[in-house]
Amino acid sequence: MFPTMQTAPAYTRVVARQTLQRPTEPVQPQKQAWSPDVRAYVQRAFDPANLIDGVEGGVMSERLRNVITQAAEAGQLETIDWSTYPLPQVLIKAERDQAALRGGMASLSANLLSPVLHTNAHALHDARTKRNYEEMDTTPAEEEAITPPWKKTNKGSLEDRMSGKKNKHDKKQKKAEALRADFGVDFEMLARRKQRFGYTSPEPSPYLSSRQDSPKPVAGPIVGTCEKIEKSYFRLTAPPLPDTVRPYPVLEKALTLVRNKWKQEHNYRYACDQLKSIRQDLTVQRIQNELTVKAYESHARIALEMKDLGEYNQCQTKLRDLYKLDLGGNPGEFIAYRILYIIYTCNRTDMNNMLADLTTADKQQHNVKHALQTRSALASGNYHRFFRLYQNAPQMGPYLLDMVLQRERLAAMAAICRIYKPDVALTFLAKELAFNTDVEDPEDFDAVQRACLEFLCQHGGESFVERKDSGEVRFQTGKAIAVFEGARAAAFRGVDIKGQI
Amino acid sequence: MEALWSDFALAQRTSDGYLLGTTISPEPPKSDPARLYNFHRWTNPGSLQTDLRYKLQYNPNLKLDKKEANTWLDIFTAYYNFTTTLLAAEEAKNAQRPREADWSTVYESWKNVLNAVIRAYQNEMFEAWTIPCLYIVGKYLRIFAIKADDNAALAQRDTDVALGVHDEDMSNSSSSRNEKLEDAARQIGRIFALCLGDRSPLDDSRKWALYYIANLSFKTYFRLNSISLSKNILRSLQAQAPGELPELSAFPRAHQVTFKYYSGVIDFLSEDYKAAEEKLLAAYEMCLYSPTNTTTTTTSRNRDLILTYLIPTKLLTSGLLPTIALLSSSPNLTHLFQPIAHAIKTANLSAFHAALAANEETFIKRRIYLTLERGRDLLLRNLFRKVFVAGGYEPSAAGAAEGVVTEKVRRTRIPIREFAAALRMAGMAEEEIGDGEGGVDEEGVECLLANCVYKNYMKGYISRDHDLILISHLDDDDDDDDDVDDDKDDGKLEQQKRKMSKKW
Repeated sequence: MFPTMQTAPAYTRVVARQTLQRPTEPVQPQKQAWSPDVRAYVQRAFDPANLIDGVEGGVMSERLRNVITQAAEAGQLETIDWSTYPLPQVLIKAERDQAALRGGMASLSANLLSPVLHTNAHALHDARTKRNYEEMDTTPAEEEAITPPWKKTNKGSLEDRMSGKKNKHDKKQKKAEALRADFGVDFEMLARRKQRFGYTSPEPSPYLSSRQDSPKPVAGPIVGTCEKIEKSYFRLTAPPLPDTVRPYPVLEKALTLVRNKWKQEHNYRYACDQLKSIRQDLTVQRIQNELTVKAYESHARIALEMKDLGEYNQCQTKLRDLYKLDLGGNPGEFIAYRILYIIYTCNRTDMNNMLADLTTADKQQHNVKHALQTRSALASGNYHRFFRLYQNAPQMGPYLLDMVLQRERLAAMAAICRIYKPDVALTFLAKELAFNTDVEDPEDFDAVQRACLEFLCQHGGESFVERKDSGEVRFQTGKAIAVFEGARAAAFRGVDIKGQI
Repeated sequence: MEALWSDFALAQRTSDGYLLGTTISPEPPKSDPARLYNFHRWTNPGSLQTDLRYKLQYNPNLKLDKKEANTWLDIFTAYYNFTTTLLAAEEAKNAQRPREADWSTVYESWKNVLNAVIRAYQNEMFEAWTIPCLYIVGKYLRIFAIKADDNAALAQRDTDVALGVHDEDMSNSSSSRNEKLEDAARQIGRIFALCLGDRSPLDDSRKWALYYIANLSFKTYFRLNSISLSKNILRSLQAQAPGELPELSAFPRAHQVTFKYYSGVIDFLSEDYKAAEEKLLAAYEMCLYSPTNTTTTTTSRNRDLILTYLIPTKLLTSGLLPTIALLSSSPNLTHLFQPIAHAIKTANLSAFHAALAANEETFIKRRIYLTLERGRDLLLRNLFRKVFVAGGYEPSAAGAAEGVVTEKVRRTRIPIREFAAALRMAGMAEEEIGDGEGGVDEEGVECLLANCVYKNYMKGYISRDHDLILISHLDDDDDDDDDVDDDKDDGKLEQQKRKMSKKW
């Protein structure tokens, strides 16, 4: 073979790459000489004359460190004009103001930015350490993939945070909301559910506002940011996100809207749904003031009108607690409703407790007086007085009394049959038992008579109706005693009153 | 201090449960007022165990086996810790610093005593004669709970005033307001279950404690205003088969009276007036009362309580009013019921309303307001009767033979107007019977009459064509009832007086 030639090799020996990563240049040690510009910048930042209110020293120095390290890594230490570069505290303040503008409420910015600010430093720190071992210029998408979801706050670069990127995100938000409104599907709920099962999306879903809110739920009552006036009710399964909750001014508008719509359209499903969601937003934000009282009162009245006792009871209970806080509203009116409701349920214990809780001032109130008189009339069997009171019941009273109307009419008939002999005029019955409230036009004499007749026949009294030659209709009370006594007993058996009347 | 141990030894020797109970009582006996203080001074936490063991195990006067001695060791250890807290609290109270008295800790330490005693029974260490110990622990548990709750309420109010805070969530505070008492209720329930589940033969059974513990439960639940829980106790007692639980009459009289009273009141509140009358009457008859001996304030208070419920019950069931004699036996009762009774008798509506309003708060608190209100029906009946009587007699039947004395018959056809007039005179409110124009609301008056007839206070019928009510003259029998005052009560009073005199 050829003898080995002692010439210089034609190649340069290089260590073969073991990995795909390109070798990085060693990171500049901190102790590197800072340019005088940088040092001047730092000095200016710490100058007490330059301190801004609201930006604490600790926050500011963190920010300063970040700014400089970022600049260093980006190799911009020399290129940035430090003399004109905004101080860290200015940057912080600007960000805060922008956020305030965007959210529309000062407290909101505190809400959002404080976690953002605090996690900001940590996140960047982590990102930086990670970057040491990875490619210098990882794309944001890949970056998100690498960092676990709970660290996904504020990954953007400084410029992102300063300017345009926020608007882009706004657009995404608006699209998300629009979509949600259209489909009525809670994307966030779905995403939350996904997270619960450990599935984390590799890239941020455009509908996940993960950039905005902190990974941990904010402690204490949250403040909403949702601007929609109408919102359907969904049962909450987890602490709600602020952008699904409407803030106070929006709720005011929402309530007004619902009330007007109810007056015009009388659509109970819609009104109930909207009111429940208003109530939910108020509760979640721990708002307890006149608006809350108004919302619950409106819902209670609407529920009464539509005979929805379940909702009415819910509102009633809550109103009791709210009235104790002296927030105004109409406590007298609702005390009266409670009294009437207890009359309906024939619950002696509740009635006793109710009477024990009434104050002298309460008893002077118009509605309460009426309710107490009604109670007293019914307790002594004074049907005559009861039906008069029924016709004069204030506000929503009649709707509650409607529930006892039927059985009280039967009780009255039982007494009437026993005392009047041999018969009475139908007109007398129609008047005594207040059938004018059953018909559209109380002045329509015939309609009232017919309503009364219908009632009598419904309960087995048709055989006792007698049409005289004069045209007058009479009811033979003397013979009908047993029938109506039985009907009365049956009506009251359901409530088990044991000896009342 | 030695007195405590000699009592203990004596109790053990003679199986005297009540004496035994006094040894672990929070209240020192009258003969030894400094007992607790001395007990506390006698030892210290360090040497507590050894001292107690010396007294319990190595005491020549006592013959306790090791296990039993250990049980008593536990109990007295807890009792010692309790006395520490109690003395501290009482000191604070005596030094005019009631806010600082920590009744909560007293309650908790007493609860430890209770737990120790319950454990003793659960381990079948104690025989049935010792059950007065259960009485003691239960009774004072309740008392301390009330004290602790009162203190907590005061403290809460103080902090609220200091911080200018309104009660954020009233429901929260109302449940915490009775926190200790609710806990006490649970503990007493535990004791009840403990006694109920005793399988030993009746002679030696804890079941003899049942009624006392039931009474304690009632007192606690009434204070907590939860009557439904009381009903549970009643139900479990009733569920006992006849052979398992001795008859109520076999129990000490005190237990019986209290039990009958509470179950009577429970019936009253559930509107079962017949049963209520039965029980309250029995309690009343059995209740110890001596009109001459005014030093025993507890017994007269018990009697007052029983009558507070018995009088409205009787009013409702039989339309009877209490006699002046009965009411005068107690100033409290006179004050409460006399005006109403008088108003009903004289059929004076305005007086009736005034009387109800005057004591409204007390009536509502005792839950008798609604029942007393029904007295109005009686009043109206009396009023109508007066109208009937005032109507005079019928003119003698035409065509009667001369000299034949026909029976005088009262006028039976009475115009409605007369009733209206009577109602007005009695003070009925204008809004009720007036028709708004100064006239009379005839239908209103008819309705009142209808109710009277419907409730069987009156027999008759109305003819609207003639504006009359025709009263049947066969109803004289049920008219005289209310003037016959509470004869039964009178009689009972006489009986009791005789019993008393026999005693001395």
